[in-house]
Amino acid sequence: MEMLTKIVHNYYYMAAILLFIIGMHTMLTHSNLIKKVIAMNIMDTSVFLLFVAIGYTYGGQAPIVAENSEVLYVNPLPGALMLTGIVVAVSITAYALSLVVKIYRYYGTVDYDEICLIRSQE
Amino acid sequence: MGLLEHFPALIPAVLLAIAFLSPLLFRWARKVSAPALIASIAAALIMAVVLLVQYYQTGPFTYYMGGWPPPWGIELKIDLIRVYMLLVILAVSLWIIIYAIKDLEHELKKDLLGWYYSLYALLVGSMAGMALTNDLFNLFVLMEICAISACGIISIKEDRACLEASFKYLILSAMGTGCYLLGVAMLYMVTGQFNYDLVNEGLPMAVELYPNNMLAASSLFIVAFGTKAALFPLHVWLPDAHASAPSPSSSMLSGLVIKIYAFLLFIFFYQVFPRPLLDTVPLNEIVLWLSSLGIMFGSIFAMVQVDLKKMLAYSSIGQIGYVFLGFGLDHNLAIVGGFYHLLVHAIMKSMLFMNAGVIIYSTGIRQIKQLGGVGHVLPLTMVAFTIGSASMIGIPGTGGLISKWYLALGALEIGRPIFVVIILISSLLNAVYYMPIIVNAFMQQEGFQFKTEQVPRSMLWPQVAGILAIIFLGVFSRPVVDLLEKAMAQFF
Repeated sequence: MEMLTKIVHNYYYMAAILLFIIGMHTMLTHSNLIKKVIAMNIMDTSVFLLFVAIGYTYGGQAPIVAENSEVLYVNPLPGALMLTGIVVAVSITAYALSLVVKIYRYYGTVDYDEICLIRSQE
Repeated sequence: MGLLEHFPALIPAVLLAIAFLSPLLFRWARKVSAPALIASIAAALIMAVVLLVQYYQTGPFTYYMGGWPPPWGIELKIDLIRVYMLLVILAVSLWIIIYAIKDLEHELKKDLLGWYYSLYALLVGSMAGMALTNDLFNLFVLMEICAISACGIISIKEDRACLEASFKYLILSAMGTGCYLLGVAMLYMVTGQFNYDLVNEGLPMAVELYPNNMLAASSLFIVAFGTKAALFPLHVWLPDAHASAPSPSSSMLSGLVIKIYAFLLFIFFYQVFPRPLLDTVPLNEIVLWLSSLGIMFGSIFAMVQVDLKKMLAYSSIGQIGYVFLGFGLDHNLAIVGGFYHLLVHAIMKSMLFMNAGVIIYSTGIRQIKQLGGVGHVLPLTMVAFTIGSASMIGIPGTGGLISKWYLALGALEIGRPIFVVIILISSLLNAVYYMPIIVNAFMQQEGFQFKTEQVPRSMLWPQVAGILAIIFLGVFSRPVVDLLEKAMAQFF
């Protein structure tokens, strides 16, 4: 029961880890290259979600500090860093997709198993 | 002072700046683009030497990016082991690029050279940053820059093998950075800091409160750095990527890029994780056995290869194992051996890939079987290959012996002679696959025909430098070992 309440209280962590595992599993096991790239994004996004969740404080306000105010703020640092993380993820995705386009041009398929088959026949 | 105190930040900054300028220079002032790249790496190297001198005068010091002190800003830290890593990176990359200029003209399309210089500078700059940074999130960004430019210098040679290899590399290294970032999230959750030292201060309490979280985080870090450094079961991307890339890229990737992650694992073990964590969880033991397996299997896989560059790539998996073995043994002599091997292997594996590059440039042959008699056509290259192989095996007078010596001393010191046996067996295995190539290359007197092409001087001189460096490291090991022992004094 204690375990269950812990999970319910920390559901966003659980969601992030679940997404991470889904992403990692798909990335490593699926043979379709586009799916691999999408899974890579799911994995990255799950970590961003986790970070933003860490930064949140219950009942906190947006961290725009006014003078002499005694309100609770959410932690702005993880959010700001995750913006950087998103930019990084976007550039990796763009590069990965451009590689997929090139691979399709050379092999005529985006399926990794078929590419291996073509390479083994060479 | 003035400029001098900004050197830690200027080293990566100069390299990143030249990365942006290279394509432009190549377009408008083609003649100066390659010298500009060489000059900026040399400038960074000189700055690193100045940092070393400064270290000897003042002891370890830090640099705040933008003048913001740690909990808010990014901190760069200069201590002996980081300066050592920085010097290795810059010196070896300077040496490789001098070789690369002519080889690249042969291997790449003419108009892609400027972009290659750009990727090369990005790669060196990001590695220099990784060696210096003291901030977990800054490290993540630099790791992604390094990953993307490392894949870039493979896929720039557009053929089907390269594209497929670099995609595989990209996916697995994205998995590595994903695991790294999740690990950082777990550390941030319990400590609320990104700075290494502050995390280190906060962690002992966290280990007591949440042992499971810390166990998960540390295993994520092992997976992250293990994937990127090709620690044994996570090495699957390496052979294709390193073998299909243009030879200068192979030198760079095998010589330096996998080493920087091994170095980062060291930093995490000894600067970020507090001692109690290492004592409760057998992290060293895990790394120790994985690296031992890697040393054996890397050599065994290398034996069955028919392609020269692929053989060298599999050999890298075994050799990076020695570096990890040093960290796994957790004794200062062994770690000195590991770091010494990091330098020696960076030099010898880069040189062996250069040799392979010269052979391919001159004769167009990649298959090991057809190399019989090549020593008569390319004497200097094959002599360099012989010295490099001798160092791989650990023959006295070459640098490889010294690192194995210190690793073995460390293993004996903590009373585990089994690892000495592993080192000896793997040396024999190395001999099994390097010796036949050398013997065939020199001894075969007839029955070979090569269409040879004149090799430019700038591709030959770096090999001479490599031979000298390996023999120097084998004969006069004291200065480097002294430096490393002094660096280790801080951790033990």
